[in-house]
Amino acid sequence: MMNQPAIEVHGLTKTFGSFTAVDGIDLVVPRGQIFGFLGPNGSGKTTTIRMLTGTLRPKSGSAQVLGTDVVHHPDQVKPRIGYMSQKFSLFEDLTVAENLKFYAGVYAVPAAEFASRRDYVLEMADLVGRENELTRNLSVGWRQRLALGAATIHEPELLFLDEPTSGVDPVARRQFWDLLYELAARGVTLFVTTHYMDEAAHCNELAFIYRGRIIAEGSPSQLRNEQMDQRIFDIAVSNSDLALEYLTGTDGIDEAYLSGASLHAAGSVDSPLSADAICRRLVAAGFTDAVVVEVEPTIEDVFVNLVSRNR
Amino acid sequence: MNATFSRVGAIVIKEFKHLTRDPRTLAAVVILPVIQLLLFAFAISFNVDNVPTIVVDYDQTQTSRDYVRAYDGSTFFKVVSHGASNSEVDAAFDSNTASVAIIIPAGFERTINTGGQAQVGVLIDGSEPNSAKIAKAYSVALNQVYNQSMTAQWADSQGLDISGIGGLQPRLRTWYNPEQNSTIFLIPGLMAVIIAIVTVQQTAVTLVRERTLGTEEQLRVSPMRRVELMIGKLLPWTLIAFIDVALIVFLGMALFQVPLRGDPVVLALGAVLFVFASLGMGLLISAVAPSAETANIVALMVAFLPSFLLSGFAFPLSQIPVVLQGVSYLFPARFMVTISRGVFLKGSGLGELWPELLALAIYATVVVLVAAKLYGRKASR
Repeated sequence: MMNQPAIEVHGLTKTFGSFTAVDGIDLVVPRGQIFGFLGPNGSGKTTTIRMLTGTLRPKSGSAQVLGTDVVHHPDQVKPRIGYMSQKFSLFEDLTVAENLKFYAGVYAVPAAEFASRRDYVLEMADLVGRENELTRNLSVGWRQRLALGAATIHEPELLFLDEPTSGVDPVARRQFWDLLYELAARGVTLFVTTHYMDEAAHCNELAFIYRGRIIAEGSPSQLRNEQMDQRIFDIAVSNSDLALEYLTGTDGIDEAYLSGASLHAAGSVDSPLSADAICRRLVAAGFTDAVVVEVEPTIEDVFVNLVSRNR
Repeated sequence: MNATFSRVGAIVIKEFKHLTRDPRTLAAVVILPVIQLLLFAFAISFNVDNVPTIVVDYDQTQTSRDYVRAYDGSTFFKVVSHGASNSEVDAAFDSNTASVAIIIPAGFERTINTGGQAQVGVLIDGSEPNSAKIAKAYSVALNQVYNQSMTAQWADSQGLDISGIGGLQPRLRTWYNPEQNSTIFLIPGLMAVIIAIVTVQQTAVTLVRERTLGTEEQLRVSPMRRVELMIGKLLPWTLIAFIDVALIVFLGMALFQVPLRGDPVVLALGAVLFVFASLGMGLLISAVAPSAETANIVALMVAFLPSFLLSGFAFPLSQIPVVLQGVSYLFPARFMVTISRGVFLKGSGLGELWPELLALAIYATVVVLVAAKLYGRKASR
């Protein structure tokens, strides 16, 4: 049983009226992996998670979760999976310990096991000594870790995380990913959606979903090397808004967008474009402090490239 | 089975913890009913006493003065002025100095002394219908008593034996509430109003709050079944509603001497069904309300107004327009008010109240099923 994939999906489709939210996707997620499920808002990420967690019935297609048909037997799957959303789903007027106790009750964790599970979660979330604090008094980072603890109080084999880090500061996000690595190391399969592209690089496997279809999948390095047909230039300039506008209409540049603190410009692999040439143009256009360097494409660059190709 | 207990128990414990952490809600569900009870019982009174009365006596005899004294002697009327003609009645009504006028025609004494039926005019200012209605009833009763005692006096003075004739003893009775004490009448009805407010509003708000928090979504992914969630939500509020019922019964009996004449089991059964029906309405509201604020207002509208106005609590259902009488069947409060008054005041039991109990049971079943269906549909979106 254990060598079955954690998730195996064929032709999964969901429509809402005339709108096709998920359009015949296929997915295989091996056990013990951190699987990143990426896509812009409204691309079908959450709908897919809902079908995989047994809360939404697909229109057609099959979905095996932990070896069980989740479409027809959601009740057999639910006790074995965990779920955490960006809302954290904690009761703010309950204490840390009470929230854990509640979710332990929801998953019918035996009383004998609860004490050790709770201690483990408190340790993991660094909440030892704060058990009796009201959840509303915790900062966002602590709450996020408590939500993860609550979602894993019943030791699920597979954990779905729907944008678990949105609205959390970078330091807390870093700490949170350390916890996810720890869970993965203990054999838990993680199915993560995120729109932070730097987080995508932390995953073992990635799948891009766009307009209900999976447009690319593979490991981060595979995607960077095999899926990319563009060269990427990193542009540091003080007046980035105007520079972005200027670059978008420039010959040879397919796409220009903000990336972190700088701009990225993408051009075809066959184009004669060079960093120097772009820099000269920018300076000539009045952006005298522009610094242009050709860089290795990031996951974000791959993503922008894929979306523009599939538009 | 153990898992079910664990899941329902988790919800029940959590609900009580929410309550202890939120003093305002706690106050709303425990203290507010007491305040409402005291407020309604003391402030809202449909009793009529000391109705300002003007007398126009055209007869001016000993008998007519006795007759007027009978009015003045009762606690219901207070003779505030004596007029010389009918036109003064109009003036008194217009200036609100009197709302009842007694007009005694000339020849009043003579008619009585000859054993005839004397006519007396009683005018009532109808601009306040409730008082008017009661004042009218009283004056009719008073006339009857007076007339009969007059007849008895006349028979006595004529040396006739009236004991054999019978029926000369004044018989004036208001059934179930002989003192015409409106507090006694109000409290059993108030019970239904308070239960409706507590249960409808609280369920509506707690479920919408879970949706906003994201915990509803979290629970849907869990093995928790919808019916387990509903039962878990229902149990604490049933208990709280029962505490409120007990509180109202206790205060009503201890403070206001409301009698409990009928079968308390029927009352409890009615209360259970009514609580379920009200909780179902709360679920319905939460299934359609987008925010806690909306749920709050809608719940207030649905729980408060109909149970107050369309239940027979404040106005007899026979006196409201026919259309509204029909509308009143859409809200369970009218059945509960009937049950509550029946048990408290009339000493009714299952034999008399089974139609209302059945109606409540059907209502509760339908509304909970529809609510669960709507709630589920909303949830799966």
